Amino acid sequence: MQQVLEILVSGLSQGAVYCVFALGLSLVYGTSRILNFAHGSMYMTAAYLAWLLTAGWLTLPVGVALLVLVPVLFLFGVGVERLVIRPLRPHANWKTATMMATLGFAFVLDNLNLVLFGPTSITLAPLVEGTLALGPVVISRQSAVTLVLAVLVVAALQVFLTHSAFGRAMRAVSQDMTGAEMVGIRVGRVYAASFGISAVLAGVAAVLLSPVYLISPLGGWAPFLKAFVIVVFGGLGSTQGVLYAAFILGLVEAVVVAELSASWTMPIWFLVLLTVLMVRPRGLLGSWGD
Amino acid sequence: MTGETTARLGFLAAVTAFAIAAPLIGDSYILHVMVLCFIWVIVVSAWDLVMGYAGIFNFAQLAIFAVGGYASGMLAIGTGMPPVLAVPLAAVIAGAFGLLIALPCLRLRGEYVALFTFAVHLALPTLLEKGRAWGTGGASGLVGVPPIRIGDLAFTTSNKIGWYYLALAAAAISVWLIYFVVVQGRWGRAFVALRDSEAFARSLGIDEYRTKLKLFTLSAAVTGFGGALYAHYVGVMTPRVLGNEFFLMVMVMLSIGGLGRFPGAIFGAFLVTVGNELLREAGQYRLLFLGAIVVLVVILLPNGVSDLLTRRKKAAAAKNIEIGKADVPTIRSGVNPSCSP
Repeated sequence: MQQVLEILVSGLSQGAVYCVFALGLSLVYGTSRILNFAHGSMYMTAAYLAWLLTAGWLTLPVGVALLVLVPVLFLFGVGVERLVIRPLRPHANWKTATMMATLGFAFVLDNLNLVLFGPTSITLAPLVEGTLALGPVVISRQSAVTLVLAVLVVAALQVFLTHSAFGRAMRAVSQDMTGAEMVGIRVGRVYAASFGISAVLAGVAAVLLSPVYLISPLGGWAPFLKAFVIVVFGGLGSTQGVLYAAFILGLVEAVVVAELSASWTMPIWFLVLLTVLMVRPRGLLGSWGD
Repeated sequence: MTGETTARLGFLAAVTAFAIAAPLIGDSYILHVMVLCFIWVIVVSAWDLVMGYAGIFNFAQLAIFAVGGYASGMLAIGTGMPPVLAVPLAAVIAGAFGLLIALPCLRLRGEYVALFTFAVHLALPTLLEKGRAWGTGGASGLVGVPPIRIGDLAFTTSNKIGWYYLALAAAAISVWLIYFVVVQGRWGRAFVALRDSEAFARSLGIDEYRTKLKLFTLSAAVTGFGGALYAHYVGVMTPRVLGNEFFLMVMVMLSIGGLGRFPGAIFGAFLVTVGNELLREAGQYRLLFLGAIVVLVVILLPNGVSDLLTRRKKAAAAKNIEIGKADVPTIRSGVNPSCSP
């Protein structure tokens, strides 16, 4: 019983962070139909920035660093959209072109991190230290804070998307780009904002996950792959689908880690993914669309 | 004279020129770079077939390349099979590997294919490193892949002039097969039609899934052939071929050359292989350069260097129409004028 509860808590908190990270990928795809191969590298870049702010250059507390990072990362995301993605839009093969460009950009970020910070992994301090006893179950404070914070971020994003005018504009664009443009929504701004929000989400996930998984120049690809499995499992572009998929796969991971070992996570995730794609090629809640 | 005939003649002239030029080069380093160029021509033109002409977002190209190299190396080292047999068998194995990738993912839509194939690429190094028990050599890879021998002739790494002709022949055959047999044959018309207008192609009775499956398998076999040649040329095969450097290189080759624009990909292979050698001095900044080149080329020259050529062609075509000599549009030039070679 106690072990089951521990697996449950760790699965939920893991799932919540994956959800934050994968939502960024899904949001960008949903609004602009662009598959951002640089999402994992942006996550790693955010982790390096957080490390600079807390240990490498300044000595801010992690929480303060996170607050500083939010606007910085938002602007970074907007800048990437303006400089790398927007010039490609008018092109006939923009789908292939944006994939190549974001993949190329991912390598630029990776190698920039490699040149600046070297190949050795570094670690980020957790938000809080110590453990928390809930009756018989003992969990680390970090995973409790992670769970709460991640759930708050996801909830805030949901409220933003459903209740604010701009959030509704984003959903309109993701449902029908031309229609949204016709009713006067500034589509370009929506694209830019979704990239900005996506970078912020990657940054939050980076601050929450980096104390566990280390920071290294190529370390962004593993979370990127996980986000990919989650997004495809949930259905490309579907926010709700990501929510379900992230928690399901987070729990699967917790069980795998407890019963087998961590190195089995990815093979089993792929197995789950393959099965889902065979049975339901569009994922849990995805729609084909264009 | 049609554009196709010109392309064939140009191709034959280029191969002949390369064949004559070899003894004049002499310098073994330049010969080495040329051998690498020819091998990359094989890999990139096979990729171009899938990415450019068929419009399948395949990012597992290097994984297939690695499978070809490993298969041939493991057969030659593990079972003592003569490399002359191991290389074609490796091509078959790589083709089967391609078929295995294609079976689940070609039913999916574009982006899913991109992610799925890229996941294969990312997962393979781990498998190779953990697969020591099956003879992959773990993280240090296969060492001492034996040279190819035909009769008394041994193609060792130091036999540059021999390798030059071997790689030239292999590249010429691959390019001929891909661009002149497949792309310009019935298949080629079928999948260019599929890429440009799926609904129209279906109405003509083209079976999308089977066409793409055949194509992907063929491209994988050619790629695996290139990988096998590479393994026997260099003599070692490590999981590092799946690293950033090679992936970036083939991406730059294809984006500089332009997708689906014969002979763009071939130019790209030469330019990048030579450029990469010249950049050796730059050390760790080289990969940063290569990444930035991908982004810049995709933004500034979306169709690669052949952009410049197409513009001239279009101007010429406009002139022809004026004086009433316009060609009757074929399916290919009708659906997408830019993809006729």
